[in-house]
Amino acid sequence: MNPIPNALCFGDGLPASGAPCVVAVSVEGLRVSPMGESPVVEHVVAFADMSVEAGGLDHDQLVVSWGEGSSRRTLYLKDPALIAAFRRAAPSQLTAHLERAAEQVRRARRSHRLLWSSAVGVLTGLVLFLWFGSDLIVEWAVARIPIEWEQKLGESVYQDFLSKETILKEGPAVSAVQEMTQRLTEKIPNNPYTFQVSVVQSPVVNAFALPGGYVVVFAGLMNKAESGEEVAGVLSHELNHVLQRHGLERMVKMLGLAAVVGIVLGDQQGVLGLAKQLGMELATLKFGRAQETEADLTGLRLLSDARIAPDGMIRFFERLSEKDDARVELFSTHPMSAARAERLKAELAALPKQTPNPFTFEWKQVQDSLALSGPKQ
Amino acid sequence: MKCEILYPGAFPMVRVYLDANETVKAESGAMVAASPTIDIESKMEGGFLGALSRKMLSGEKFFFQTLRASRGAGEVLLAPTVPGEIVLLELDGVNEYMVQKDGFLAGAEGVKIESKMQGLTRGLLGGEGFFILKIGGTGQLVLNSFGAIHKIDLKPNEEYIVDNSHLVAWTSTTTYNIDKASSGWIASLTSGEGLVCRFRGPGVVYIQSRNPGSFGSWIRQFIPVSE
Ligand SMILES: [Zn+2]
Repeated sequence: MNPIPNALCFGDGLPASGAPCVVAVSVEGLRVSPMGESPVVEHVVAFADMSVEAGGLDHDQLVVSWGEGSSRRTLYLKDPALIAAFRRAAPSQLTAHLERAAEQVRRARRSHRLLWSSAVGVLTGLVLFLWFGSDLIVEWAVARIPIEWEQKLGESVYQDFLSKETILKEGPAVSAVQEMTQRLTEKIPNNPYTFQVSVVQSPVVNAFALPGGYVVVFAGLMNKAESGEEVAGVLSHELNHVLQRHGLERMVKMLGLAAVVGIVLGDQQGVLGLAKQLGMELATLKFGRAQETEADLTGLRLLSDARIAPDGMIRFFERLSEKDDARVELFSTHPMSAARAERLKAELAALPKQTPNPFTFEWKQVQDSLALSGPKQ
Repeated sequence: MKCEILYPGAFPMVRVYLDANETVKAESGAMVAASPTIDIESKMEGGFLGALSRKMLSGEKFFFQTLRASRGAGEVLLAPTVPGEIVLLELDGVNEYMVQKDGFLAGAEGVKIESKMQGLTRGLLGGEGFFILKIGGTGQLVLNSFGAIHKIDLKPNEEYIVDNSHLVAWTSTTTYNIDKASSGWIASLTSGEGLVCRFRGPGVVYIQSRNPGSFGSWIRQFIPVSE
């Protein structure tokens, strides 16, 4: 019957995974006998010649080294009884090392326990959050996103998008949209955003706003609208998606925990990298019903504050929902419902009556200019 | 127990000879064929609670079966799920291997397996999951890889850097840290690159020549997406 190895020996000429050997503690030092050699060659390493430290993956192994150069040997001891025997027999000059080693083991164990309890804590917390508070966590994380990040993110998607579209640089349509934006944004208290609005030559009946204040209005929407007030209603709704940071909320929800962690750690590149993977989806993001209602109501109030006739917004929504027009893409991101229009009407009734200021442009001319500049639809 | 690798290379199998009443632990689903004297014991290592915690913590995948030659000596043929090499290691009671979950194929009766939690950062970022297997005891241990298996020998204090998704197993005398290779660890977490393990000897690190994650995404592009 072979003796059972209780240590691994490393060094030149020995296997990289360690040579199994039998180690015993004696008064003068360690008796080391490599396995598989007969007759058994016993080697005695004096305490005076060795150095000691804690090692191994969990710092729970006693590492004993001796010798120089190619005859240097490193012994890994793991058996607790053997380690205890070593500590009892070792002279005082080694004790300091050993105690440090023992302290390292204790610390490793403690951090292990801490790890377990914190893992359980994190898991419990996570489950609780998923159950009750995922919206809270999202809001909490979104509130921590600096405006500059948001702008960087929105701008990159915006430029990406515009590079594939024909943008109207000037003309009545562009000035009309600029006038609407100007009138709306100057009524936003403490506005941290610089809104940029582009009109895209496209038959698509839609508009969208990207985080950071980048707004795109499609010419198709302006063609469908019967007045500037109607377009201003959509614009006001979109601006409020930005102001309420709805896009960011959706984004954080879609990206999940990694985004939250990145935001908390301030890892801008990481979060932007994650967000870029969503790419264009940001533009066609479907907002939640609560977010739509919020954008509707705050949008309506903003219109009223800006003295833009707010019923234009309601009329446009109603008119679009009546028509069964497959090309009205606004529906794909903004499902219309009678209830939605009703809620807006109720809200409008509750708002103080304002005398609206008309726009300086003639809507018919704006629409005619679109028909001239773009391809026939 | 005696093991023999059949068809070494990409599509190997292991033939395990068992004496009467001897057992082998095998990754569930790894059994291809067996003598009629072999029975599958559904008993989980570590009893009901052990099984429960293993199921919950280290994933369904690591539910290994115990195969017993209860009605006389016989043999079992085992094969891993993925194409790749198989390596046989001999455990002598002192050496211990940390094995990523999918790397375990089989172990002799005397082989002890426990799932071990990684340090939080190691586990979250390491790619090999929160839990790895700590395998010790005595007898033969059979590991499998995705692609070819490559052994890296490390002298005391010698360092080596490995992309974590290529890790199969390493000795417990080897320490390691997770390093990020590029800036922005969230980006690297999702792009699947840029996270590496810095190993420090002494000991041995086994790596696989293919990355299961990358292979998966490569395959995915050919699969039509149906809504
Ligand atoms: Zn909306």
